[in-house]
Order: sequence, then C-alpha cells, then structure tokens
Amino acid sequence: MSGIAVGCWIFVLLMALLVVRVPIGIAMFTMGAAGYLYLTGGDTLPLLNSLKNLAYARLSNYDLVVIPLFLLMGQFATHGGLSAALFRFVNAFMGHMKGGVAMAAIGACAGFGAICGSSLATAATMGQVTLPELKRFGYAGSLSTGALAAGGTLGIMIPPSVPLVIYAILTQESIGKLFMAAVLPGVIAMLGYMVVIKIMVTLKPEIGPAGPRVAWPERMKALFNVAPVLGVFLVVIVGIYGGWANPTEAAAIGAAACGILAVANGGMRLRGLIDSALGTAQATAMIFLVLLGADMLNTALALSQMPVELAAWVKTSGLSPMLVMVVILVAYVLLGCVMDSLAMILLTIPIFYPVVMGLDFYGLTATDKSVWFGILALMVVEIGLVHPPVGMNVYIINRLAKDVPLVETFKGVMPFLASDFIRIVMLLAFPSIALVLVRTFGG
Amino acid sequence: MQEPIPGAPSASASAHFGPTGRALFKATQAIAIAGSLVFVALVVMSIVSIVGRKLFASPVQGDVEVLQMCAAFASASFFAYCHLNGGDVKVDFFTANIKASRVHLLDAFGSLLVGLFGAVLAWRSAAGALAVKASGETTMLLGWPLWVAQMLMVPGFVLLALAGFYMVGVHLRSRKLQAVQEVSA
Repeated sequence: MSGIAVGCWIFVLLMALLVVRVPIGIAMFTMGAAGYLYLTGGDTLPLLNSLKNLAYARLSNYDLVVIPLFLLMGQFATHGGLSAALFRFVNAFMGHMKGGVAMAAIGACAGFGAICGSSLATAATMGQVTLPELKRFGYAGSLSTGALAAGGTLGIMIPPSVPLVIYAILTQESIGKLFMAAVLPGVIAMLGYMVVIKIMVTLKPEIGPAGPRVAWPERMKALFNVAPVLGVFLVVIVGIYGGWANPTEAAAIGAAACGILAVANGGMRLRGLIDSALGTAQATAMIFLVLLGADMLNTALALSQMPVELAAWVKTSGLSPMLVMVVILVAYVLLGCVMDSLAMILLTIPIFYPVVMGLDFYGLTATDKSVWFGILALMVVEIGLVHPPVGMNVYIINRLAKDVPLVETFKGVMPFLASDFIRIVMLLAFPSIALVLVRTFGG
Repeated sequence: MQEPIPGAPSASASAHFGPTGRALFKATQAIAIAGSLVFVALVVMSIVSIVGRKLFASPVQGDVEVLQMCAAFASASFFAYCHLNGGDVKVDFFTANIKASRVHLLDAFGSLLVGLFGAVLAWRSAAGALAVKASGETTMLLGWPLWVAQMLMVPGFVLLALAGFYMVGVHLRSRKLQAVQEVSA
C-alpha cells in the first residue's frame, strides 16, 4: 500500500473509533500504535521500544509546562472574583449607551480572556456575573445569551490561548510570536461583536435599553479595581515578547499574580485552592491525553510518509493556494460540528500544516505563513464553540440562563457568527492584520 | 466533554461508585491535588529564579531540569482522576439519540481501551526508567538521576489502568440497570 493509502486507512478507522465514543486521545493512540505495527511489518519490538520514552519525552517538554500553568492561572482568576470587577469597570464606561450593558459584557469577556486561555471558562464565569445584570436592565434574552456565548470565544482568541500553545509546539513556532499575532485579531473580534450589538439595538431599540450613566469618581474606582488584571496581562505578553521571560516563566508569573489576587481580593480559601487544583488537573489531563495519543498517531503518520506525499501532491496539482486554504478552513468548520477545538488542531495540523507550508500565499516568508495560518486556524476552530449542533459555549450559557430557550440562544448567536465569518475573510485577504504587530515589535 | 467549567461541580460520575470505586476516586483525587501542588511549587521556584536572575544575577541552579522532571510526573498524576470524573474528550454527537443502555456498552469499550492504555504506558514507562537507571544517565547541571522522575510517572499510569478497568464494570452494571428500565418502560 502507498503511504497515502495507509494514512487514509488510519484515519477511517480512527473516525470509526471516535463515532463509538472512544476518548479522542485513546482512539488516536490505538490507531497510531496499530498503524505503526502494520508499517513495521507486525514486529512488536520497535513499537514497545518507542513507547518506553513516549510519555516522559512528551510530558517533560519545557514549553508544554505553559499549559498547566496557564490553566492554573485561569482557575485562580475564576475563583478569585476578578470577573465581577472587570464587568463593573467596562460597564461604568459603556453602560449608559444603548446596548451598552451587553457591550460591557463583551468587553469584560475580552478582559477575562487576557488572563484566561479557555473559552468555556470565560463564557461560564462571565455568564454568571453578567446575565443577572443584563436581565435587570431589561435586555432581550436572545441578545444577552448570544452576546455571552460569542464573547466567551474571546477567552481563546485573546492571548494567552491554550490552542495556540499546542499549535506552536506541533509546528515548532514561537509561542511569543503567535501570542503577539493574536492580539490585533482578538481586539477586532471584540469590536466586531460590539458593532453587532450596536446594529441590533439600532434596528430594535427595545432589546437593549441604556443603563444609568456612571459618574467619573465611580469610574476611577472601577479602574483601580481592574488595574491588577491589566498588569498580569502586560507582564505575560510583554514579558514573553520582550524576551526577559520565556513563555513558561511568564505563565508562572501570571499564575502567581492571579493566585495572590485571588487570595487577597477574592477571598480564595482552602476550598477554592482545592477546587483550583482539581480543575487544573482535569483540564490538563484532558489536553495531555489527547497530546500523548497525537504523538503516537503522528509517529505512525510520519512513518507512512502520508503528510509529505499529500503536501507534494497538492503542491504539484496546480490547485490555487487560496482554494486549498478555503477548503481547509471549510473542513475545520465541518469538523467543528462534531469535535472539540483542541482535538481538531492536534488531529489536523500534522496533515494540513505541510500542505499550507508548501504553497505560496502573497509571497509570505515561511515564518509569517505559519503564524498567519495558526491565527486563521484558531479563529475557525473557535467558531465550532458557538455554531450548532455542538456549540459548547451556547450550552453553557443556556444552562446559566434558564429562562431563555436554547433555540433563542442559537438565534441570538447568529449575528455574532456573521461577524466571525467577516473577520476570517478579512484575515484571509489581509495577513497583515495578524502580522503587523509581530513585524513592528521585531522578532 | 471538553474543558471543565471552573466553579461548576463536576458531573456526579462518582455517584454510582461502590466502596472500591469511592476509595479509588479518593486516591486519584489525592494524587491529582498533589500533582497540582507540585505545579504550584514549580511556580514559586520559577519566580525565585527569575527574580534571582534579574536582580542578583543568580538564578536557581538547574531550574529548567527540575521543572521538566517534576512536570512529567505531576502531569501523569492527573489522568486517572480525569477518567473517573468523566472528563475525557470524546465525540458524543453521533450517539446522542441512542438508548442509554447502548451508550453504556460503548463507554465500557472506551474504558477498556483506557485501562489497556494505562497498563501499557505503566509497563513501558517502568521499563524505560529501568533502562535509564542501568545506563546511569543524570541531569546536566544538578547531576540528579533521571530515572527517578520517569519512575514517578508509573503510579499515575497504574491508577489510570485501574480507573479504566473499574469503569468498565461501572458501565456494564449501569447498562444492565438501564436495560431493565427500558424494557419495563
């Protein structure tokens, strides 16, 4: 069998295992091991030898330590009550406008995203704080839930972002560059969502009434309360990018800062610490199990030569690079209907990345291309969190807002989804949106 | 499902556990918390090292080695808790509308594979650690024996194997109960 054929069989059987609910990491590991055995002619010795070091080699990876540390930081931020301070701050400045309270919720999500690398945590935490407020000011249910489900994705789009760390490790790209590249698209995402709210309340003013205006002294007090959050974000991003702390050290600083804030402001006690520890353990285990499976799978795929053959085939096929890119992005949207974003990245990057790197886009250099594709992939996989049928963010928000039917929430998300698609097309047409900050600050 | 939701209590997977299961769950929780605290300790060490390096030009000697060794076994300690807590990332889209008893049957198969995975990794990691011990490999700066960190991963994988095999039984029992209910309904 040719490499492509073996690779395809591995994928077909892998999909079959996924359909019958085998955990994704385990399914990847099983098919990786099976494919490896097949390719080495059924000899178990090479496989058993390669397994001796698989777990240690992966789990002792220095860059990978960023992930549990960022997760710990997010847990502390969640248990430390920083979400309420963020919302009060943005609301003090925007709440008096039409639709302003919903815009404030988006802004607070973005702020929380700056200290938390997880979408679901952002949606859940901000939902708990802002949904009662939105209801109190008489906001329509579908606008509130739609805005928060979409706002939750800012948790991942604004760095630190766990999927970007995974992408960086898989492609040996710099975490700092990817984080820097994600800043501007993340801010554009936030502004896009606010514009959507503005349009909606202009069309139907009754769905998003204005709140009371907040006086300046109050505003300054709110600013004072969120200053630490801003500080943590700056330390992490500037620290990594400025080169005086590597990503692992910056994550350690961030985790320590959020931990101290949680104890000092939020009153995190022993219970909160244990919950944070268990939350970190579970989230880390989920990700690392998929990562171990992906290692085995990628070993088998590399042995089959499938990614190389596929990339060579696409390169010589004469297909337009942009068409190939659009096909890849559409494939992500479809996969997002059934799969978790991290699993998608781990499963597809080893295949898609060589293909993309073999093609020419706007004459970009290899580094620029890989950073740009990373941000594009991040944006597309995050859409899976808000579109039907799975849309985990939507389910989370729906669980918090029991009076709004699920269908209403999915309807409410649609305008935000439209802004997501517009942003992706923009990024596709203008790679500079991601690359300008990376170029400006050297690197 | 996907990432856990902080603040929300985890699914009450452990509600169906017998005494053995509850003891196993406590054990996995204990090493998971211990693993997280190792990371907290690593955070403290990193801060001390950064401050030392920036202000006094004296970082913690060998901090990167320590971080790598400790992160490996601390991460390995998380898996069993995650599985018993029902935290695996899986695709449940295609099986959303089938009978609960069938879902339990499928999950029993999934847990069996998890158990085998844990057993294989425990066995191979232990073999790998012994091979490293035999070769006498040590870390570069501190000269610590490398095999110890690899061996410390083994308990995590042994617990994962136990968790997987235990969950096979839980799912098969729940399947029987569900099947009876489905027939009588």
